[in-house]
Amino acid sequence: MDAGLIATIVFFLMLALLATGVWVAPTLIAVGFVTLHFFSPAPAGSLLASNVWDASWNWALTALPLFVWMGEILFRTRLSSDMFNGLAPWLSRLPGGLLHVNIVGCGVMAAVAGSSAVTCATVGRMSMPELKKRGYDENLAIGTLAGSGTLGLLIPPSIMLIVYGVVAQVSISRLFIAGIVPGVMIILIFMAYVALRAKLNPALAPKQDTGLSFVQKLYASRYLFPVIALMFVVLGSIYGGFATPTEAATIGVLGALVLAAATGSLSWSSFMESLMGAVRTSCMIAFILAGAAFLSIAMGFTGVPRVLAGYVDAWNLSPVMLIVLLTVLYIFLGCFLDGVSMMVLTAAVVLPMVDKAGIDLLWFGIFTVIVVEMAQITPPVGFNLFVLQGMTGRDILKVTRSAAPFFFLMLLGIAIITAFPQIVLAPVQFMIE
Amino acid sequence: MLIRTVLDRLFLWSGYLSALFLVGIAVTIIAQVVGRFFPKLVLVDSTETAGFCLAASTFFGLAYTFKQGAHIRVTLLTRLATGLLDRLIHLWSMAVFAVVMGLMTWWSFDYVYFSFVFDDISPGLLAIPFWIPRSGMALGSLVLLIALLDEFVRVAAGLVPSYVENDESQQPERVEDHI
Repeated sequence: MDAGLIATIVFFLMLALLATGVWVAPTLIAVGFVTLHFFSPAPAGSLLASNVWDASWNWALTALPLFVWMGEILFRTRLSSDMFNGLAPWLSRLPGGLLHVNIVGCGVMAAVAGSSAVTCATVGRMSMPELKKRGYDENLAIGTLAGSGTLGLLIPPSIMLIVYGVVAQVSISRLFIAGIVPGVMIILIFMAYVALRAKLNPALAPKQDTGLSFVQKLYASRYLFPVIALMFVVLGSIYGGFATPTEAATIGVLGALVLAAATGSLSWSSFMESLMGAVRTSCMIAFILAGAAFLSIAMGFTGVPRVLAGYVDAWNLSPVMLIVLLTVLYIFLGCFLDGVSMMVLTAAVVLPMVDKAGIDLLWFGIFTVIVVEMAQITPPVGFNLFVLQGMTGRDILKVTRSAAPFFFLMLLGIAIITAFPQIVLAPVQFMIE
Repeated sequence: MLIRTVLDRLFLWSGYLSALFLVGIAVTIIAQVVGRFFPKLVLVDSTETAGFCLAASTFFGLAYTFKQGAHIRVTLLTRLATGLLDRLIHLWSMAVFAVVMGLMTWWSFDYVYFSFVFDDISPGLLAIPFWIPRSGMALGSLVLLIALLDEFVRVAAGLVPSYVENDESQQPERVEDHI
């Protein structure tokens, strides 16, 4: 059968199953099974078992549950409740004042939690009341939270980068290292924007200095530094070539347990809660990845990805044009899909195209994660928008409007890494492997 | 209701087993790193064992994760439905899921059986017979299939699905399970 027709049937079948509420992982398996059974001579049943098995004990994926667990442990320590007091003394003198706490706080929390909704909710729960009390502009307060909350997806150890690494077969160590500079760059872009807005209209952010001495500042952030130190150890061990991501994640889990014990927040019940939380998240992701691996094998049998990649060749798209088109596609998909599903569903078709167009798959991973971040703050299914709506009691329209400038700032970030891909690729070249 | 208690225990303990294997990943890594310092004493090949632990953790966790509402589905359209239509949608999506898991369970047991018959051995240093880790996939899929059938019956009888009841993301303050 013609590959174009098969692609159409597969696409509509998937759409129908997803739209009628069938879970993502079984949808992938069902579509893969139908494809193999009807459009190829291959034995669908035995391929199902062997491919799902092969995808399930993937060594690269072993880092995922451990990083999720580390985040769950740290999330339950005093880190989250002390984030505001720990950061405020350092940042309050910048133009824009405590709004920067939202941005940097999300950056730190993101490194820990690896999930943008959790990041957004945790930081917001502490900072929103404080900002309101001091008369900060609500729009900017919501916007900074919405925007920076999404950093969770990019700042390593990022779950999204592990998922991408497994799907695209790109080294997770390299992805982590490549994600650092763009992550910091986006934080700086956000901070510059807030500072600029505050300079132009000082009423948005009343200035104040806590007047603490250096030692007092250090004391206020005593719970923050150990966590930042742990992040440096985890990423440093990967960067220096001492540890694989899985080994680094194990160090992270042990360090997080020690920190939790030292700050008195480790109990049997918090330990079990963190562990079962990690089971839920990693089981959900691993199941989707196994389903996606099977679907991608099934698609391979029909030759659809090769044909679609051929179309791109025939259109003679420049890499930049392709990136523009894919940005639009992902932002559109982000209107109804969550990040993991989006990345996994498109991988089988998009990755061969991108590869053929001569785009570096490492760079493309960072690009995809930033676009998925943007999708978190586009209605109607931006998870961060829901979180903020619940927290502030404002309607979704107002929250979306507050988040909009940050959406465009991320778009600016994408334009920058497209124009200067070295921002992503250079740090990786100095890695020791 | 004895059967209710038995089923709920099955799903919960299967979840605990999943957690045990998750810890197992970390333990094998630690064992390997420690083993590096005593190369003559122990030889640990964590690449394989960690992978096996990961697979076991994933499959034993399936049913628990399902009951807790942590598997992802697109609710953009379906959340608009109410009453009978809402219930029919739940039944339909669970029916599809159950068919998929039926296939998965059947072919996994088939796979385990042939791994046993043909004595399929893992390529690593430990040379573990593949049927052992693969049976985790078969058993975990079976437990999820049971959970799906159980949930199907519950919803058909007019109860609210567990995965809706337990889903923390329904309360916007506590969105924890979305990435």
